[in-house]
Amino acid sequence: MLTALLLIPFLGGLLLLLLPSSVAPVRMRSVAIVFLSLQLLLSVALLIPFDPSVGTPQLVEFTPWVSRIGLDYRLAVDGLSLPLILINAALTLVSAVCTRDFDQRPRIYFSMLLLISGAVNGAFLADNLLLFVIFYELELIPLWLLIAVWGGANRGYASTKFLIFTAVSGFLILAAFFGLALVSGSVNFNITPALTENLPVATQLVLLVTLLIGFGIKIPLVPFHVWLPDAHTQASTPVSVMLAGVLLKLGTYGLLRFGLGLFQEVWPLVAPWLAIWAAISVLYGSLAAIAQSDMKRMVAFSSVGHMGYVLLAAAAATPTALLGAVFQMVSHGVISALLFLLVGTVYRKTGTRDLSVIRGLLNPERGLPLTGTLMILGVMASAGLPGMAGFISEFLVFQGSIQTFPLATLLSMVGSGLTAVYFLLLVNRAFFGRLAVTPVEDPVAHGRLDVQLAAVALRETIPAVALALSVVGLGLIPSALSRISDSATQLMAQLPGGMG
Amino acid sequence: MPVIPAEQVHAGPHPTQEQIVQTLLAGQTLLDDTPDHVIQVVDVLKSYGEVLDAYSINLIYQAEEQFLNPFPVLKYLDGDVSPAKLWRHFWHDRINFEYAEYCMKAMLWHGTGGLDEYLDSPEFASNCEAIIACKRRRDPLQGLLHPLFPQFLPELIRTAATTHALGQFWRVMSDLFIDLAEAEANGEVTSIAGVVDFIRDRLVAAAGNPITYKVRIAGQDFWVLPPEAGLTFLVDVAVPYVEAVFLRGTPFLGTVSFNAQAKQISADQSSFKYGALYADPLPSMGAGIPPSLCMQDMYRHLPERLHNWYQNCTRGEGDVRVKICQSFQKSMFCVTNAAIKGTFPHPLDSTDQAEQEANAAYANAWASRLVVARTNALG
Repeated sequence: MLTALLLIPFLGGLLLLLLPSSVAPVRMRSVAIVFLSLQLLLSVALLIPFDPSVGTPQLVEFTPWVSRIGLDYRLAVDGLSLPLILINAALTLVSAVCTRDFDQRPRIYFSMLLLISGAVNGAFLADNLLLFVIFYELELIPLWLLIAVWGGANRGYASTKFLIFTAVSGFLILAAFFGLALVSGSVNFNITPALTENLPVATQLVLLVTLLIGFGIKIPLVPFHVWLPDAHTQASTPVSVMLAGVLLKLGTYGLLRFGLGLFQEVWPLVAPWLAIWAAISVLYGSLAAIAQSDMKRMVAFSSVGHMGYVLLAAAAATPTALLGAVFQMVSHGVISALLFLLVGTVYRKTGTRDLSVIRGLLNPERGLPLTGTLMILGVMASAGLPGMAGFISEFLVFQGSIQTFPLATLLSMVGSGLTAVYFLLLVNRAFFGRLAVTPVEDPVAHGRLDVQLAAVALRETIPAVALALSVVGLGLIPSALSRISDSATQLMAQLPGGMG
Repeated sequence: MPVIPAEQVHAGPHPTQEQIVQTLLAGQTLLDDTPDHVIQVVDVLKSYGEVLDAYSINLIYQAEEQFLNPFPVLKYLDGDVSPAKLWRHFWHDRINFEYAEYCMKAMLWHGTGGLDEYLDSPEFASNCEAIIACKRRRDPLQGLLHPLFPQFLPELIRTAATTHALGQFWRVMSDLFIDLAEAEANGEVTSIAGVVDFIRDRLVAAAGNPITYKVRIAGQDFWVLPPEAGLTFLVDVAVPYVEAVFLRGTPFLGTVSFNAQAKQISADQSSFKYGALYADPLPSMGAGIPPSLCMQDMYRHLPERLHNWYQNCTRGEGDVRVKICQSFQKSMFCVTNAAIKGTFPHPLDSTDQAEQEANAAYANAWASRLVVARTNALG
């Protein structure tokens, strides 16, 4: 079943590549949507055999591969990876559905999208360190291509920056894993705490720090975040949805699975520093977001801040905090995907994301009222208002961390308050006031009457409405997710590195 | 006194004051003469005419049948209190008579022209005394109210007089606009210049119509606005109406939160620029007051030709009220244009230097007010 989660997107991608170029782009999108729908159905179907009371990896699929070097095909799922498998399937489908301008090389575009989705599934399901690295690296090139070929005007710079940073990230992770094998004298790359059991503390620290930097680039955490705003700004909307909603989670997943999971002995030693790093990341991300005038960069910097909560939770490593980390990964995935979708809609309709130019988009007759309404919902969720996904995740993270790291948690709470500040600035500037889309340098500096924005068709809003419903649904019925992840996070917190 | 100037929320591009003066003195139309403008102006005025017909009937009904009624809860029903009418009323399947009342209140509050002068005259006060004396004999509530609040009932009578006068004014305008649509349908009016001339001629023809108003109490007739007051259609009602509704308006009920305590609204009513010609057609956060209720009413009576025309531009049905308001402003510029043309102190082709200067001063006075109106609607 788990293998099918890899085969479906990979076969879909291959089929798309083999389709004759005479096939209409819209047909190619339909083919991609069929495969991605199958992937989503299968991901949801995983809930049937999945036993939420078991915290350890389950539904294991094992086939010896290159056992001589420790590389085996070993897949498994647990309460940490299953939610991420679900949002990967859902958000890749959303990305395909919301792809509008696909006249340029649609075969390659959609096959890359499917390839990324399959690789991400592989990374989340891999129960072998080398297998994880293979899938982790596998998504880099397709994503680089999606930015470099289908990106904005400055896509060359952004995609190169992305490639360099994430390649270094992959290299550091691989180096940490090989280093682990080297110093432990083992060729066993199965994910087990036994790998680090007999290593000196200093060696473990070096390996852990290498791993933390590797994943810190991917998450991204300050100061390794510099690739992310550029990548988002230049990426098309569907790619931004994937990047923020799914791909950043590879970093946080790796942090929990390999950082906390493997280096349990030294984790308490670095945890206080990680908590400080988290608070700095949260505050920097929030303050930088306030300073942005590009809507997309603002949402991108908010990701930097919000990923800091996951690091804080991982540092605290209490059952509640770790459950909060899973919630934060899922809720950030859905909320940021929603926000990027809506920013994309604004950009498509107005031709700009500049907050000094756009005004009054909430206008009921000539503006984008539904987009504005969903944006307000999205920013409320991101700011952690009760009743929505963001509240549950932040509440769990803060509640789980406050006893262990009170100062870092309080500072992160301030960051949460700042989220409301920058997103209210965004909503106030772009959606309230009198409708106008007038460049600042335009001699007619006041609002124009002849603003002619095309209306957003109902079918264009379906992905955003679906995401908004998920945001509210997760906020109102958090037990749906906690039921899946509770055992796994409890188990993780009871490990020596955890505080449970 | 800090006032949020119309310029600050004014949309461009727009003609300069000098260009407006030249247009008026040359006898040209303010609104560009295009076939699309003819469709918009004629059809929106036709729907407006049908709405004004309902407003007029109701205002005259209120002034005559609901006179000094302390609880006029059925005032919008025109005397028909059948279950079907009540159902339509509460289901809001009806004309927004509230808009007519807003216009009346604007006229009463700004109080310009001969009607207002008469409402403050001793003759009017004596008329009121006679009416109130008759009323008090039959109505104990008013018998009690008047000694306690001696200004209350006269003020209600002033309100009723303004209501009736506006009803009479709109009666003429309603017929005028519907006749204009007929004339256009018959091919007698084919251009914006023709529209302006048609309106001007009818306004001039009705200029001297007397404005009178009497009420019947206990079988006895009482003049509120007697013929001897000499009030006439154009000078005493039409001009104050244009001043109050087209130009000054009120900053209340609008879409911008003006803060009177912060002195964002001028204490000088004559400097107000919140009227229909300044209103922002976009229904959120624009300055001025789009006549939203009136636009809703016009939408109910929109001619098919204009409705189809709206369907084919911008968002079709989605922003139809904005388009109605824009068309309405175009048509109001035509009406204003006609009123200015009909009230120049001297013929425009006069060769007398003094008369030319007087005309230029008159045109300049209007242009100074129109220059910050929504003149971008003219193009």
